Amino acid sequence: MSDAHGLTVQLAKFAAALRSHSIRVGLGDELDAGIALTLVDLLDRQEVHRALRIAFKVPHEAWATFDKLFEEYWGGTVAPQSPVPRPVPFQDHRGPVQWKWDGQRVRIAVAEVEVADAASPAYSAEPLLRQKPFEELSAAELAAMERLAARLALRLATRRSRRLIPARGRGMVDLRRSFRDALATQGELLALARRTRELDEPRLVLLYDTSGSMDVYTRVLLAFALALRRVIKRVEIFAFNTALTRITRLVAPAKISQTLERLAAGVPDWSGGTRIGSCLAQFVDGYLSAMVDHATTVVIVSDGLDLGDAQLLTRCMQALRSRAGRIIWLNPLMGDPRYQPTAAGMSAALPYVDHLAPAHNLESLEGLLRFVK
Amino acid sequence: MNEDIRAMQALMERHGYIADPAVATALYLAKEMRKPLLVEGEAGVGKTEIAKVLARALATELIRLQCYEGLDTNTALYEWNYQRQLLRLKIAEREAHDPAELEDLIFGREYLLERPLLKAITRRDAPPVLLIDEIDRADDGFEAFLLEVLSDFQVTIPELGTIRAQHVPIVVLTSNRTRELGDALRRRCLYLYMEHPSLEKELRILRLKVPDLSEHLAQAIARFVQRMRSRDLRKLPGVAETIDWARALVRLRQDRLEADIVSATLGCLLKDEHDIRKTGEEAVAEMVAYASGSQQ
Repeated sequence: MSDAHGLTVQLAKFAAALRSHSIRVGLGDELDAGIALTLVDLLDRQEVHRALRIAFKVPHEAWATFDKLFEEYWGGTVAPQSPVPRPVPFQDHRGPVQWKWDGQRVRIAVAEVEVADAASPAYSAEPLLRQKPFEELSAAELAAMERLAARLALRLATRRSRRLIPARGRGMVDLRRSFRDALATQGELLALARRTRELDEPRLVLLYDTSGSMDVYTRVLLAFALALRRVIKRVEIFAFNTALTRITRLVAPAKISQTLERLAAGVPDWSGGTRIGSCLAQFVDGYLSAMVDHATTVVIVSDGLDLGDAQLLTRCMQALRSRAGRIIWLNPLMGDPRYQPTAAGMSAALPYVDHLAPAHNLESLEGLLRFVK
Repeated sequence: MNEDIRAMQALMERHGYIADPAVATALYLAKEMRKPLLVEGEAGVGKTEIAKVLARALATELIRLQCYEGLDTNTALYEWNYQRQLLRLKIAEREAHDPAELEDLIFGREYLLERPLLKAITRRDAPPVLLIDEIDRADDGFEAFLLEVLSDFQVTIPELGTIRAQHVPIVVLTSNRTRELGDALRRRCLYLYMEHPSLEKELRILRLKVPDLSEHLAQAIARFVQRMRSRDLRKLPGVAETIDWARALVRLRQDRLEADIVSATLGCLLKDEHDIRKTGEEAVAEMVAYASGSQQ
């Protein structure tokens, strides 16, 4: 590290290591780091550590990784100034109940009394389902789905931003434009230009339960997701069962059957069990701050049949609530009139949900429009 | 430690800001590398204060841009002084002008109202400190616009032409992370994340900010607040809250922590109804015992 060249090489290696640990570092950051090193006392390891962290723009979440790599690449030991962020402990929240859809009916393995009770309405509700496989949906039905999605998108977009855009007719007077226009008429103000508040483009985050108990609905609901994706630009789609998977890119508006194949291949444990709490925790930790804001509607599609940690679910719903503009929970089980949202997961989440709506077929999705004003 | 960083630290302290080495290093690098400094961290850890004190310490002007949703170029960059323009037009009516001449007349520098960003790049004497506060509150469209200003330090006004910075200002941006900032903006800046202060640092801040506080009480307060931060709360008390609380206790002529007074003044520390309810008498008593114990 004595000569400048050695230092540069070391810096490049270090940057590569950061990148390989998914800390995003660009060439510009390397240059910044290089300049920063010329400005600090190279014999003071603490100072080099601080300077590199500042110049590489390491976000707080990545400090632990950064500290570890720093130690590895810059020798000696560094005492982190802050307590290392505690890793989220991974817990298996899979309950004693396992659902399996074998093509004709749902199989339940090991059920406890209360569980069987909470779940029973789902599987007597068969006539309510539009059970047609998704590939067989007629063109007319698909078109209906898209019209519905478009209407929903419009409803979601009624929030006005505080940003002002030029408008005809009413709105605040835009003096600047008025003056520009007036110059053409020798400074005579003939008409006033106006501005009004812009319509906020809706943002949507869809969280899909793809566990076995949801299998029969997944196709219809994915069609809905596809339709939404076509009309709203900013849609993020996640699938969750025992783990969370971001499937936005997989759900491309291409051939639908291909999409389903891609999904089945891309999502681990498709049709497996559910751990809503831990999956939502993954979402909250990894994506919440980047994807959810006050203009975002979060749609959770799940039957809430989860025997995991209800407390964890509550905490996650709190976190969601504090950021999201609106939370909609679509529950296919609600198609049955006898259904009560009493399943442990559902009742834990209920206080934080704006709208709880059925989602077992196209008609019920249309009903959603009434909720979203 | 580098002498210049140590000097920066001392300078900040002389002007009433206890800067730990990380803050001093960041400020020094930002100043030397002429890059904006993005400061993130919990509310109340003293992010905004950095810029204010820096301006005082460097004896230069502080120009502040408070961000909010819907902030636009009219409020951030410049605006024409319409009233004056209108008056001028009225006067011009009596003379004969062609439109081009008229335009030159009313779109001159003297009809321009400088807003913070433009102000920051037109200072003649010395580089000012530009504080862009709570950038996360502005929308992403504004963020993109800001990026342009911060990279070139020049502003183009269609009617006037391009105005280049006389001195590149020292820019400090703060964010409470209510929204994730774009990567591009982060890359353009140096990045400092501020955490809640250590016990030792908080004590020094208390001594500096609330001089009439007895050493004994200062220790108890600092220990109490540190303990409070280890609890599972929605909103942890920041340094600003600690100082408020210390001042309240001084006003109430307390010289040691007592559970009932602490409960009564809890509102200085906790700003969330849920958190206050959660911190019951027992918890307060435990924290008071912890704070006043073992300090002999």
